[in-house]
Amino acid sequence: MNRRTVLLSLALFLLPVIVAATPPAWQIDSKKSAISFSAIQNNSPITGQFTLFTGEINFDPTQLSTSHVNIIVDIGSVTTSYKEISDTLKTPDWFDVKLFPQAIFKADKFTKTGDKTYQAEGNLTIRDKTVPVTLQFTLEEYQNTKALIKGTTTLKRTAFGVGRGEWAKTDAVKDNVQVNFVLAVVRE
Amino acid sequence: MKITNTENQYGIVAILLHWGMAIILIGMVALGLYMTALPVSLLKLKLYGWHKEFGVLVLILVMLRIVWRIANITPSLTSLPWWESLAARSVHWAFYGFMLALPITGWLMTSAAGLAPSFFGLFVLPNLIAPNESHRLLFAEIHQWLAYGLIATFCAHVGAALKHEFIDKDEIMRRML
Repeated sequence: MNRRTVLLSLALFLLPVIVAATPPAWQIDSKKSAISFSAIQNNSPITGQFTLFTGEINFDPTQLSTSHVNIIVDIGSVTTSYKEISDTLKTPDWFDVKLFPQAIFKADKFTKTGDKTYQAEGNLTIRDKTVPVTLQFTLEEYQNTKALIKGTTTLKRTAFGVGRGEWAKTDAVKDNVQVNFVLAVVRE
Repeated sequence: MKITNTENQYGIVAILLHWGMAIILIGMVALGLYMTALPVSLLKLKLYGWHKEFGVLVLILVMLRIVWRIANITPSLTSLPWWESLAARSVHWAFYGFMLALPITGWLMTSAAGLAPSFFGLFVLPNLIAPNESHRLLFAEIHQWLAYGLIATFCAHVGAALKHEFIDKDEIMRRML
């Protein structure tokens, strides 16, 4: 066996090891995690949460190129400080929960932007609209078995058709909606 | 016309506060009665927004008005029988009570909905209490009954003023014109 053959066989043996070095799969600890939003109505903030969401998080800050996430939000779990608004948000003019029960965020492009800060570029689907979205997030904590991620992004609600008919006007309910999230994740 | 009040006449500041607030309050009661009956819509949301903004204005104006009233003499009612004078003063102080209690209960009920009132986009007031549906309903009910009380007091006040002008034919009403 010449040297080239040896190297080639070695490479072939190592290949599965390299491929297997994918980012770890994290489980979301839903009790310590939250997705909230803040919009502006009548020049005043209104805040709310989506209390139910699940997701697959395969993330490692040292393997950003192979990291990927897929978050699924149960839109029907929307709650705000005022029930009439929560109920209105579920109607066909807003989220249309019956027709579009889930919002999905998928991202596989991660960039380090600072000491503990990153950005994720992906696609967010709300209702039947998919729009590219960039999230900024901070790894508040990152250990072998647990991590804490806090992040934010600002969406334009009309880009997703959230607020149709007269509600598509952005004078009383502004277009920009800030979304904040805290993800407490664990793994075996 | 004088800026401050005299023994026999209201000054321009008191007159402007009286009529300015009268117009705002009549509009607010009418708006309140109309908007609460509307189904959820963009119009309803905007009307609630205006109601809150003018409510903050009422609260600011009534505080200025109370300061002005205390810092100033009030034209006397000594020409009237004691019971009529007492009734007039009671109605005036009842108005101050309504003008304070209505915006404050309004602020409390919108706080209980987590929807802080904005002052015409210039600033946002803080929420006085945490969001709570049963508190919201309680303050909404108090707010509603205060508004009915204001309407009743308004009728007594306007009735009395018109009686002085057209039946007694005295100077009482003209002091506020």
